[in-house]
Amino acid sequence: MSTKRSTLDSVVDALGLDTEDEWPYIVRERLLAYALLAVYVVVIWFPIYYILITSLKPTTEVLQIPVTFVPSHPTISNYIEIFQNRPFGTFTLNSLVVAVTTTVICVTLGTVTGYSFSRYDFFGNKALLLSIVGARMIPPIALIVPFFSIMSNPPLIGGLTGSLYDTRIALILTYTFFNLPFAVWIMKNYFDGVPESLDEQARIDGCSRWEGFVKIILPMAKPGIAATAILAFIFSWNEFVFALVLTSSPQAQTLPIAVSLFVADDFVDWAHLAAGGMIAALPGILFGLFFQRYIVSGLTQGAVKE
Amino acid sequence: MSTEKNTLRRTLDRLFVPLTVGPTLLWIAAIIVYPTLKLLWSSVFWQNPISGEKQFVGIRNFTELLFATGSQTGVFGLAPDFVSITWHTVVYVGLSVSISFFLGLGIALLLDRDLLGRGWLRTAVIVPWVLPYVMSGLMWRWMFQSQYGAINGLLTQSGLLSQKIAFFSDGTLSMMALIVADIWVFTPFIIIILLAGLQNVPEQLYDAAEVDGAGRFSRFVNVTYPFLKPSILVALTIRIIFDIRALDLVWVMTQGGPGKSTEVWASWLYRTAQVFNRPGEGAALGVVLLAVTFLIVAALYRIFGESPY
Repeated sequence: MSTKRSTLDSVVDALGLDTEDEWPYIVRERLLAYALLAVYVVVIWFPIYYILITSLKPTTEVLQIPVTFVPSHPTISNYIEIFQNRPFGTFTLNSLVVAVTTTVICVTLGTVTGYSFSRYDFFGNKALLLSIVGARMIPPIALIVPFFSIMSNPPLIGGLTGSLYDTRIALILTYTFFNLPFAVWIMKNYFDGVPESLDEQARIDGCSRWEGFVKIILPMAKPGIAATAILAFIFSWNEFVFALVLTSSPQAQTLPIAVSLFVADDFVDWAHLAAGGMIAALPGILFGLFFQRYIVSGLTQGAVKE
Repeated sequence: MSTEKNTLRRTLDRLFVPLTVGPTLLWIAAIIVYPTLKLLWSSVFWQNPISGEKQFVGIRNFTELLFATGSQTGVFGLAPDFVSITWHTVVYVGLSVSISFFLGLGIALLLDRDLLGRGWLRTAVIVPWVLPYVMSGLMWRWMFQSQYGAINGLLTQSGLLSQKIAFFSDGTLSMMALIVADIWVFTPFIIIILLAGLQNVPEQLYDAAEVDGAGRFSRFVNVTYPFLKPSILVALTIRIIFDIRALDLVWVMTQGGPGKSTEVWASWLYRTAQVFNRPGEGAALGVVLLAVTFLIVAALYRIFGESPY
């Protein structure tokens, strides 16, 4: 056992708890881990706390010195006002429609395609998979010029639809750009972990490839599908760059844009911005709190090779 | 009847791969390949901002952005703006990534223990990453606000400072604020990836190292690191290429200011293409960004001696 004195040793001493034998190394180490993690969690949650209490303060208290760290007159009027004075209902609806549609498209295509990449050795599958993975590396912002011009004047369907600029469709199409390759890759890796003997058993039982996939494999893949869906939803819900480039009015603007609109040239309406920000942050916070497991597994499947 | 059904079944079965892979490939061709080709195409044209008329200019968009013209003098003949913006990007990405990497590694090592309430701790450290970057950026802008921000409030009201700091009036402090926000947002990502990597380290090796009397540091270098290397590579690669392209935080916190002191590649690209309405030059910058991204990925995989995927 080390004879070196650590800070924790002194804490333990001060509390009168010490002797080396009563406080085995592992207990002291664990206490230290807790202490460090506690400090870290408090520090990273403080800004979230501060924006939350800002959203609950009346404007007069927000612009008041000294700064208050507990609202003296908490109110939800900021939340009500942004829905009354600004089209926050429409912004929220836009965000929901865009994120849900993108998620459905990416999860559907990603699941069936990921399965085929995982199971079948078809012509060019390695090269195709590699290019799908490579596509994930393309920086979306590099493509704002072509996307702006394509959406303003869409080829092939242009005659039917006219310009897609400032529509939700434009956002949905561009959001699949970074979510679809990701979905294919996560699902492919997920199916790699589902034993192939299940496919064989289904075949022996007389299932066609489709029946086997739908009845036997898909139910097994639910956790992978959930992880893909949650990540695709979060990425789409939070997206800002394409929304900034491709929308200009409440008919398509999403919540991240709506929140940024509180910043006027010289003046920022912090109280209402905070309320809007909390609404935009809500799905992320909820997903983070209740589906942490899926976020972690999705990211891990998506990031770590094979 | 039944044979007909069987034929249909067999045909559908034979078409399983084309039907499951085909639509995705077509979709990707339309939404990724086509825009990328169009990007290359746009980068060699100059568009008249008023008439919208396009003119082929070859590589002039690139040379004008990257190289000094006329009376300008720049390092190695490079354009002064290009040099300073590249430097800001290197500082921003370099400091954010390295600090968040070591912080994330530390937290991941702490969380890798058999702690009571580990699930809740993990949840608590992950949340910043799942919030909209715009909201996080504005939140930090509010934290650093010169009059009513929490940081100035804490510092002056506790008596540590007698005067408030106007963070966003100063180039260096603005950059620091951006880096703080970036670390806050992206450290959870490092934690998640490294925690997953730590699961690959066989428990017995730790015990063996302990028996051999290896200290904590040598245990990390000799036991943990070799198993963690692939995850470190993934975490760093994704972190770096995502930071180079990130516009959200910069745009809502500083818009590249004060002056041009926090202008980075992403904001430069957006400003050129959208604010100044110069799509040709914006596309040229996009091509450069794309090339740099692939070079960085290739370099990282070289350094770590692994093949990319």
